Amino acid sequence: MDAASRWRSPYAAVAAVAVAYVVLAYSIPNKYYQLMITLMILWSIMGLSWNMLSGYSGMVSFGHAAFWGLGAYTVTLALVLFNITPWLGIPLGTLVGTLGAVIIGLPTFRLRGHYFALAMLAYPLALLYVFEWLGYQEVPLPMKREHPVLFMQFNDQRIYILLALALLVVAMLISLKVERSRMGLSLLAIKQNEPAAEAAGISSLRWKLMAIMLSGAIGASAGGLYALVLLVVTPGSVFGVLVSAQALVVTLFGGVGTVWGAVLGAAILVPLAETLNGELGSILPGIQGVVYGVAIILVVLLAPEGLYWKARDWLTHRGQPVPEPELAATKGAPTVAAAESPAMATSATLPSTRARAEPSAEAEPLLQLREVTRSFGGLRALDSVSFTVRRGALQGVIGPNGSGKTTLFNIINGFLTPDSGSIEFNGHNIVGLKPNRVCRLGIGRTFQVVRTFPRMSVLNNAMVGAFVSARDDARARVMALEALERVGLQDRAQRLAGVLTNKERRLMELARALASGPQLILMDETLAGLAPQETDELLTQLLQLNLEGLTIIIIEHTMHAMVRLAHDFIVLDHGGLIAQGRPEEVVQDPGVIEAYLGKRWMSRVAN
Amino acid sequence: MYMGLVDTMNYPFWLENFLQTLATGVLVGGTYALMCVGLGLIFGVMRVINFAQGDFLMLGMYFAFYLYTFLGVHTLFGVFVGPVVAAFLAGPLVFIVAWFVHRWLMSRVSGMAAQGAEAEGGYGQLILTLGISLVLQNGGLIVFGSYPQSLRTPLSHQAWLVGPIFLNKSRVVAFAVAVGLALLLYLFMNRSTYGRAMRAAADNAEAAIYMGIDVDRAHRLAFCIGIAMTAVAGGLVAMYYPFQPYVGLEFVIIMYTGVVLGGLGSILGAFWGGMTIGLVQQLSTLILPIQLQNTAIFVVFLGIVLFRPQGLFGRTAERT
Amino acid sequence: MLRIEELSVSYGGLRALSGVSLEVGQGEFVAVVGPNGAGKTTIFKTISGTVPAEGGRITFEGQDLLAVPPSRRAHLGIAHVPEGRQVFSTLSVLENLQMGANTASGHARWAENLDAILALFPALKSRLKQLAGTLSGGEQQMVAIGRGLASAPKLLMLDEPSLGLAPAIADAIFEVVEQVHRERGLAVLLVEQRVAEAIESCDRGYVLESGRVVMTGTQETLFSDARVKQTYLGL
Repeated sequence: MDAASRWRSPYAAVAAVAVAYVVLAYSIPNKYYQLMITLMILWSIMGLSWNMLSGYSGMVSFGHAAFWGLGAYTVTLALVLFNITPWLGIPLGTLVGTLGAVIIGLPTFRLRGHYFALAMLAYPLALLYVFEWLGYQEVPLPMKREHPVLFMQFNDQRIYILLALALLVVAMLISLKVERSRMGLSLLAIKQNEPAAEAAGISSLRWKLMAIMLSGAIGASAGGLYALVLLVVTPGSVFGVLVSAQALVVTLFGGVGTVWGAVLGAAILVPLAETLNGELGSILPGIQGVVYGVAIILVVLLAPEGLYWKARDWLTHRGQPVPEPELAATKGAPTVAAAESPAMATSATLPSTRARAEPSAEAEPLLQLREVTRSFGGLRALDSVSFTVRRGALQGVIGPNGSGKTTLFNIINGFLTPDSGSIEFNGHNIVGLKPNRVCRLGIGRTFQVVRTFPRMSVLNNAMVGAFVSARDDARARVMALEALERVGLQDRAQRLAGVLTNKERRLMELARALASGPQLILMDETLAGLAPQETDELLTQLLQLNLEGLTIIIIEHTMHAMVRLAHDFIVLDHGGLIAQGRPEEVVQDPGVIEAYLGKRWMSRVAN
Repeated sequence: MYMGLVDTMNYPFWLENFLQTLATGVLVGGTYALMCVGLGLIFGVMRVINFAQGDFLMLGMYFAFYLYTFLGVHTLFGVFVGPVVAAFLAGPLVFIVAWFVHRWLMSRVSGMAAQGAEAEGGYGQLILTLGISLVLQNGGLIVFGSYPQSLRTPLSHQAWLVGPIFLNKSRVVAFAVAVGLALLLYLFMNRSTYGRAMRAAADNAEAAIYMGIDVDRAHRLAFCIGIAMTAVAGGLVAMYYPFQPYVGLEFVIIMYTGVVLGGLGSILGAFWGGMTIGLVQQLSTLILPIQLQNTAIFVVFLGIVLFRPQGLFGRTAERT
Repeated sequence: MLRIEELSVSYGGLRALSGVSLEVGQGEFVAVVGPNGAGKTTIFKTISGTVPAEGGRITFEGQDLLAVPPSRRAHLGIAHVPEGRQVFSTLSVLENLQMGANTASGHARWAENLDAILALFPALKSRLKQLAGTLSGGEQQMVAIGRGLASAPKLLMLDEPSLGLAPAIADAIFEVVEQVHRERGLAVLLVEQRVAEAIESCDRGYVLESGRVVMTGTQETLFSDARVKQTYLGL
């Protein structure tokens, strides 16, 4: 498939949605149904606004009414107080919504999970009370009979449909653009595993802010138009919990994390709720809310990711590699057959310890730790640790479980800040830098428990790492492919990361770190859980990377693989550095033997 | 209402006003504390924020109202004891509703499969409670109607005079009962085998299973008891606070704030958090227009959430 | 008493155990050693039911364990002392021990068991009212083991009891475990990274690598085996 045809399909679908709504609008003469169509479109837009933040980044918001209400009140008050036409009022409202999003986002992104959802709930409700207090309990939009067009006041409801539709198309195009750019991929990575994304150089704050700003802009523009359609604004109707809930419900129902979800959800739920309300509203006054409530309950229980994904899974059969929203160019590539990749080097070809290139003592220091200390509560996880890693080194870090090895890595790559001491990398002081900054300076890392983005393809996983240094998405793709090739995973590029074997996952994580073009890679127990044969293959690849000039620090719990790999060991025990030196020296060190095997073994060996 | 007092007593107006507000704050805070303890128990054990807590409170109010007004509690126990009895009886009734809600809905997305607040299952529960909330609220509108109701009792317009301060009798009764009930729950959690098992399940679900504790059952018990507590608090408040089916929203933010203030997961913290919110809400009226008294709560809420998420009274026990 | 046959387990699409068979006899002390990620903890979790088995059988005293709900398994007499201690940090030490006595047998013998536990770990005596989360690592390990013993189990499963402990403290913990095993005839299943202690305490042992049992034998066989030594010291 060529690039053009791959790009065509979603945009054709957007056009189809637009045409369908126009046809619908002009084939239904009834004004009441035309109003319903307008609302369907407006709630689609609002759903897209919610999806932009919560769907793509996974931060669930219970407060999207804040944006909707800000838009509605800006348009209304601009008209009422300053006689500003909604043609300007809606852009103004969009701006206010964007600003509001920044003001809300900056402090609130410090929170995660439930706390974030709760805090978001408070914003629109606080605004609700403020607008009540300001005396805007019920603001009707004044009629401008002399200049109806100038003030966006049309007798023909269908004009509003077209206006709303224009907004919807813009919102869909923005969403599609986001889905298919590094922003979408970065947000998806953050959603699936935020620490891993940070360690791969993605600034989560930056992308989340972008998302909430776009979200605020889209939501406020829809809210502004809503005010014009309903002709009266009350704090309860635009800042109320039902507004936030409705934005969430249409998207959840239709499908989270995709542009089609909100459109689908609104097209089903809005007419259903409105019709029931119209037919039964006088007897059953809360029927609309009941419909939305039941819809949420059913979705959570039966199709937690929404109709779109459910239908898609059903159509493509489970287990097939279903590409997540991904960069356009990766779609449609052939699925790789499960044939094993040709066996790489076996242990016979392992270079022996002696034969390896070793950095000369004069090689410049790349990483220098001085007196680094970190405590958790009363426990000293790292106690005044100092060492230097020279450029080109393959440095082993060993020690029993709980001796502080992973803490050491977390401190180097910025997950943790040391209580005292200094860390210098390539001449930069990196203490206190965020993980994504540390990654940008040239330190990549892998994790003890592999942190993949399981619902992204292998290629996209690696691309997340490449964004740090790639100018554009095409370049990131090339760099990611190169990195996959370096670790021998090029055949698996289109697979979903979740279906890989343990060894392949470790290699993919390595490729993600390599894709950023690092000078130093921190590898945390990369060999854990591998069979001896797999261990040998991985060791060969690490040695190869090292020969190509990459500096590697690798943690291992057991020593047998390490003695064949590292030039130099440091040994940690209870947070302290108890030995450092060449492998053959370190394994003779009585302190090291005791830390590993205990006194009893030693006495037995002595006998 | 205060003017008459100024004439007879020798207190400066501001002081009297302050003391009166303080007293009201404490009394109101007592009922808030019970509500918060209910929500706090649920979060503490299940690690899920129950969005529908306010609507179960509303249910408690209506159950108490119907029991009192139409189902004979009024006739049997009279206008003084009746409201309290009705509030108490609302508790078990709402407990039964909660049991079904947990059995049929909540437990489908909880349990061992959805451990941890950040897991997707955690969001599933959170969103599920939003759905339950919408159904209860709007279903309430259909069943109960939108006309504001209240438990009619002479207690609500009688007061005891302590020094210069009026203590509304219905509020004093509500306060005493609420605090007593919260104390009972505290004793239950700390002294009984069931309570200890629930705390263990809350602390570390995996280890609790190794102790032979049925964690799912502990969750259900916590959910039902927590909701019943809040419902009783609702029944008590119904003596002096007119309500309609959307009343839950007004209280849910109060409960969230109280629980967060006390430190999510701590029952004792939730108690003091609720008490504090009552005080903040009442005292804010001294300097802010009355319409903004709930905004003051939001400010406290956001401040706490953003700057001290472990809460004011939260005790951070180390977990290794 | 405990018999595992051809057990297979997968985690998030990855095979963690493949065809593991393992046995613990009445009053026997069995050790499982192997590198990180080999699946040692998974065996324990499958026995206790917090990880579902994919294939194979587990029987305890002839009863099909996989058919018993996880929360009932402790009541059959299996005490699991998990990796990383996992004490109830917001409960007091005494309450932690009481949670252990949640089983019928533990409940019946609570008073005498408590005395015995405090005799084994005298350091806990003065700390009964203290929150377990505020204890040191070694003391928490004592609470975790004490909690396991309080259920009056027939089988004690210990997952890395020496994790993060200073050698002297770990030695002391090992001695207590050996003592309990000796004096009460309690069956013990131990996962441990400190190979020497593990092997020296045990009657028999298993070496696990990549989810498979690669070797099994008596204490003497394991001690003289080069592979065990090589795995840990690279010699």
